[in-house]
Amino acid sequence: MEIWRLPISASQRGKLISAGYTSLSSLSSISSSDLARELKVSESEAMNILKVASHSRGSETSNASCSIVEGAQSAWDMLHDEESLMHITTSSADLDNILGGGIHCKEVTEIGWSSLSLIVNSVLKYKLTTAFGSESIIFMLIGGVPGIGKTQLGIQVAVNVQIPNDFGGLGGKAIYIACIEDMSEYNRFLRKDFQECKIKMLPQDILENIFYFRICSYTEQIALINYLDKFLSEHKDVKVIVVDSVTFHFRQDFDDMALRTRVLSGMALKLMNLAKRFSLAVVLLNQVTTKHTEASFQLALALASAAYSVTARGIRNSSSSCKRIKMM
Amino acid sequence: MTPQSLLQLTSQKCTTGCPILDRLLNGGIPCNSITEIVAESGSGKTQICLQLSLHAQLPVSHGGLAASSLYLHTEFPFPFRRLHQLCLSFRSSNAHHFPVNDNPCDRIFVQSVHTADHLLEIMSKTDPFIENSKNQVPVRLIVIDSIAALFRSDFDNTPVELKRRSSLFFKISSKLKALAKRFNLAVLVTNQVVDLVGPNEGINGLRIGNLVCLHTSGRRVCPALGLAWANCVNSRLFLSRNEEVIREENEKSNGQSCDFVKKKMRKLYVVFAPHLPESSCEFEITREGLFGVER
Repeated sequence: MEIWRLPISASQRGKLISAGYTSLSSLSSISSSDLARELKVSESEAMNILKVASHSRGSETSNASCSIVEGAQSAWDMLHDEESLMHITTSSADLDNILGGGIHCKEVTEIGWSSLSLIVNSVLKYKLTTAFGSESIIFMLIGGVPGIGKTQLGIQVAVNVQIPNDFGGLGGKAIYIACIEDMSEYNRFLRKDFQECKIKMLPQDILENIFYFRICSYTEQIALINYLDKFLSEHKDVKVIVVDSVTFHFRQDFDDMALRTRVLSGMALKLMNLAKRFSLAVVLLNQVTTKHTEASFQLALALASAAYSVTARGIRNSSSSCKRIKMM
Repeated sequence: MTPQSLLQLTSQKCTTGCPILDRLLNGGIPCNSITEIVAESGSGKTQICLQLSLHAQLPVSHGGLAASSLYLHTEFPFPFRRLHQLCLSFRSSNAHHFPVNDNPCDRIFVQSVHTADHLLEIMSKTDPFIENSKNQVPVRLIVIDSIAALFRSDFDNTPVELKRRSSLFFKISSKLKALAKRFNLAVLVTNQVVDLVGPNEGINGLRIGNLVCLHTSGRRVCPALGLAWANCVNSRLFLSRNEEVIREENEKSNGQSCDFVKKKMRKLYVVFAPHLPESSCEFEITREGLFGVER
């Protein structure tokens, strides 16, 4: 949706375009006083423009949903949606490149994770192009051998999602579900990360914006996922859910394999539903196991053949002195 | 369910008794997590375990946990004499913390374990045991020496048995983690090593943690029990020992001469830990215990 389609006066349109606002999305995150200052118009005029812009955005979406079947999207809209994804950076430029800009929403992605050494705490690479103000949600499943840095990545994501909008971030909160270990030692890392990025946020605020749950059994895990529905409707600003070792509790003695598969797929579906409804990203950290196929042993993501409808997978290979990531 | 506040999470550590090792481990063995010590036989795993069970009794202000410990041993016999020896030197260096007739050995509870199923049984009995101990000196440290001995002989090399073995790993470790969380315990587990034979590719070349491969006594080794167990522990430390030939200069009356002396070089590596960077330090084992060496 372009600015030239907005029902505003020609002079206002000209001012908007010369100031650099060429699409509706660029107007989505600006306040009226800032806009008034940029365009050198009165505040009431700026507020008018913003109102008109949001109104057209609203009507655009309603137009889009007037399709044959309730809830169906035209392919064009879907293409637009995909191109306009909000990303959460991983603080590593190369990793962001692999992921196409960062962790974005609306998919189940399984990543094999590699280069810890690439995490650069300086430049935040962000692609903030949203049309219609809609955010896409992504599901990411990260697998790797122990000690390679999956939890570090999870924490990085939980912290990076809080980067405020002005710096190109999502400015949201995070839910961190820890299944294998306590996060007590990580407090130090959380504090360090942001200081280097020179963002004016107090470490206490960062920690307060992460909702931390610790669970000790698979029943607790399922109960928590069910509870998240209610929790997310109360806390609308949560933008990412990180589950540390989603399969840990399921690798114990489950006598009934079919039950395990059912429970796992149910959980994955619920998470996807949550992701779609509340427009958030879901990052699942997984373990690897050796797959015994015809007398050879290979690395495979734990419980990966069961359940998940994963759109991108990766196996982590750490041989010699470098750690590598592979998207599958 | 309510989320916990991250600001309030603190982790207590149990000192190892040596300031150099404590510095390497950033305070000592952390509570509420499982730390694994991997080494070949004779490297000092049991020494560290005994030392920790003694130092856990120190008051919190001195780095201990003011607690008694539960020592589950699987390899016979339990080194009572060495424990007694360490106890005497511990007492003499920390006399001001304990009353005169006190014996620190009284606060180490020893239990022998025969099989993996026996261990599971014991785990279920441990809950009420720790609960009861809160009245006197609470149990805050559990040592399992060694976990590998339970699994290495009982299972065949068929997929079915291996699967059963892995599921036992997860059961045991999740019970340990639940205990650790409930009572804020530190859990220390020791593991053995297996030799790596063959080229460094595929599964053999799999690198877990900081070190490309682990070397001890001139051989390439990897921790026993495989990838499944590696996923169950939170941190892993590796003790290596090597015989080094060192030139020692001796001054004699007819000028200097060199002797070649074989010395045992022992090192402690951090293989992986969520809170520690890649680091290592040298240590030695003396009559008084295990101490780091600063060079």
